[in-house]
Amino acid sequence: MIRLEGVSKSFGSVHALDGISFAVPDAQITGLLGPNGAGKTTALRVVYGVLRPDSGIASVDGIDLSADRLAAQRRLGVFPHAQGLYARLTAREHILYFGRMHGLSGDVLRRRADELVAALGMEDIADRKTEGFSQGQRVKVALARSLVHDPRNVVLDEPTNGLDVAATRQVRTLLRQLREQGRCILFSSHVMQEVSALCDRVVVIARGTVVAEGTPDDLRRQTGRESLEDAFVAAIGSEEGLA
Amino acid sequence: MSWLASFWVVLSKELHEGLRDRKALLTALFFPALGPVLVVVMLFLVSDSSRQADEKGVEIPVAGRENAPNLVALLEQGARVVDAPADPVEAVRRGDVPVVIVIPPDFAEKLRAGQPAPVRLILDESRHQSKPATATAERLLEAWSRQLGAQRLIVRGIHPAVVEPLAVEREDVSTPASRAAMLLATIPFFLVMAMFTGGMPIAIDVTAGERERQSLEPLFAAPVPRSSLALAKIVASGVFGTATLGETLIGFGIVPLVVPATRIGFSVQLDPAMLFTTFLLCLPIVLVAAALMVVFAARARTFRAAQTSISLLMLVPSLPGMALAFQSARPPPSLYAVPFLGQQMIVNELVRGTPIVTSQALVATGASLVAALVVCAFAVRTFERGQPLFDA
Repeated sequence: MIRLEGVSKSFGSVHALDGISFAVPDAQITGLLGPNGAGKTTALRVVYGVLRPDSGIASVDGIDLSADRLAAQRRLGVFPHAQGLYARLTAREHILYFGRMHGLSGDVLRRRADELVAALGMEDIADRKTEGFSQGQRVKVALARSLVHDPRNVVLDEPTNGLDVAATRQVRTLLRQLREQGRCILFSSHVMQEVSALCDRVVVIARGTVVAEGTPDDLRRQTGRESLEDAFVAAIGSEEGLA
Repeated sequence: MSWLASFWVVLSKELHEGLRDRKALLTALFFPALGPVLVVVMLFLVSDSSRQADEKGVEIPVAGRENAPNLVALLEQGARVVDAPADPVEAVRRGDVPVVIVIPPDFAEKLRAGQPAPVRLILDESRHQSKPATATAERLLEAWSRQLGAQRLIVRGIHPAVVEPLAVEREDVSTPASRAAMLLATIPFFLVMAMFTGGMPIAIDVTAGERERQSLEPLFAAPVPRSSLALAKIVASGVFGTATLGETLIGFGIVPLVVPATRIGFSVQLDPAMLFTTFLLCLPIVLVAAALMVVFAARARTFRAAQTSISLLMLVPSLPGMALAFQSARPPPSLYAVPFLGQQMIVNELVRGTPIVTSQALVATGASLVAALVVCAFAVRTFERGQPLFDA
C-alpha cells in the first residue's frame, strides 16, 4: 500500500507537485498516467525516497518516508527513472549488490538471484559484465535488482520505455505475476495502450495534481466518453504530451 | 541492517569494482614509480657533476705558461693546467672554457724588477657553472702572490705574519651532500601527489561517474543511510590512495639501494622504520585527500569537470612541500597544525635523519584528523541533500 497525501514539491519557481494525493492498493496494478512534465517522475521519486517533499506525507505500508526512510525503502522494489548499471559488474553481481543492501546474504541471496535469473530469462547474460548490454538486457538487470528482496510494493518509472515488442510483453507478464502474488504495483507511463492493457486502476495527473482516478471503466463513466483515449484527453484537458 | 553493515556492503562493492578499473589500477601501480625514479636520476646527475669537480679537480686554461714556470707549477698543485684556446676572450664569452689565465711575455721581467707582475684573469661573472673554476683560479693566484710576497718580506727581515692580520679559513659545507638533501626534500611532495593521484580515479568514478552513468538513483533508492554511502565511497578512494602512498614509500626505500651512500656523500635516511613511520603519519591526510576529492567530484557538473577541479585541488596541498625543498629557515611551529604541510615538514626532517618530535607529530595528526572529520561531515551532508544526484 502506497499513499501520497497533499504532497508538494517545487524546483525553484516550478511547482512539480501541487498537493497531490492518491493511494495505491495491494494486489492491483495502478497506472500513473500523464503527459510529459505532469510530475510522474517527481511523484515516484518522492515515493521511493530520493526526493524529500516540501510538504505533505508519502508512506509505504503506513510507514512515513520522512520519518523512517530506510524502513519504507525496504518494503519497496524500485525501478527508477534512471537505471544505469555498473559496466564492470556482471548482471548477477548487480542482483547480489542490491540484495546485500537490502540485508540479504549467503545462500538465501544466492538462491534468490538464481530464481530471478530464471524468471527473467537471463541465463545467457547473468555472468557477463553489463558493458555493451542491449536496452532489453539492461531493463532485465534493473528489474531483477529491484525485486531481489521480494518487496511487497513495486514502483516502476516507465519500465517499457525503449523496449521492443517481445521485451515489452515480458515486462507486462512479469507485472501481472507480481499482482497475482498480491503485491502493490505502481507504474508510470505516458503510453495509453499500456495503461489500458495492464491497469486495474488509473491515476491521471496533470500539472502536478490528480485530475481523475479510478478503474478504466470509472474513468469512461466520469468523463462520459466511449473510448479510454477520449476519457484521458477530457481529464487532462488537452492532447499534449500523450502517446 | 546496521549502519556498519551497509557501509561494508557499499565499500566492498566499490573496491571490487575499482580493482576491475584498468585506469585506476594502472595509476595505482605506475604513479608510485615516478618520484623514486626521478630522485634516483637526479641523485646520479648531482653526484656525477660534483664528483668530477672533486676528483679530477678544476681545469684551468693558461695562455703563456712558458712565461712563468714557477706560477704554473703552483697552479698545477690545485688544478689541471691546460693550454688556453687561441682567442681566450671569445672562448670565455662563448662559455667554451670557464676561465683563462693569461701570462704576458713581460711577466718574468717585471717580477725580477720587483714591480707588480701583470696577470690577466678572463672570466664571465654571469655564468653560474664557471664559478668553481674562477674561484679556484683566483684562490691559486692569490696564494702564489702571497707566497712570493712572504719570501720577499723574509729576505728583508720582516715576518710575513705582520702583513697578514687575518687568517681566513674557508670551509664549504654545501656540496655535494646538501644538494642531494635538497632533492630528497621533494619526497614529501611526491607522497602527497601519490595519495591524491591514487585515489582520484575511484573518487570520481563513484560520484560524478555514477551520476553520468545514471546508476546513482537506484543506489539512492536502496535502504542504506546516505552517510554510509558517502563514507564508503571516501574510504574506497582512500584505500587506493593508501596503497599508492605505500608503494611510493617502498619505491623511495629502494633509492639508497640503487644509489650507494658513498656516491651521494651522505647516508640517506630511508630505512624501513623511517618509511613505516612516514606511512602512519600520512594516513590521516590520505583520509582528508579522499574526502576532499569525493566532495569536489560529487559537486562537479560532469566527469570531466571533476577531473579538472581535482587536478587543480591536489596542487594546493602538495606545493608547500615543494617549497620546503628550497627554504632553509626553520618554519614556525604553528605550521605543524596545517594538514598536509605539517606532515610534509615532519617527513622532510625524517629524510634528513632528524628523529621525529612527538609533540609535532601529535599536533599534525590531531589537526589532520579534525580536518578529515570536517570534510567527511561535509561529504555526508552533500549526500544527504541528494546533491550528487540532482545538482548535476
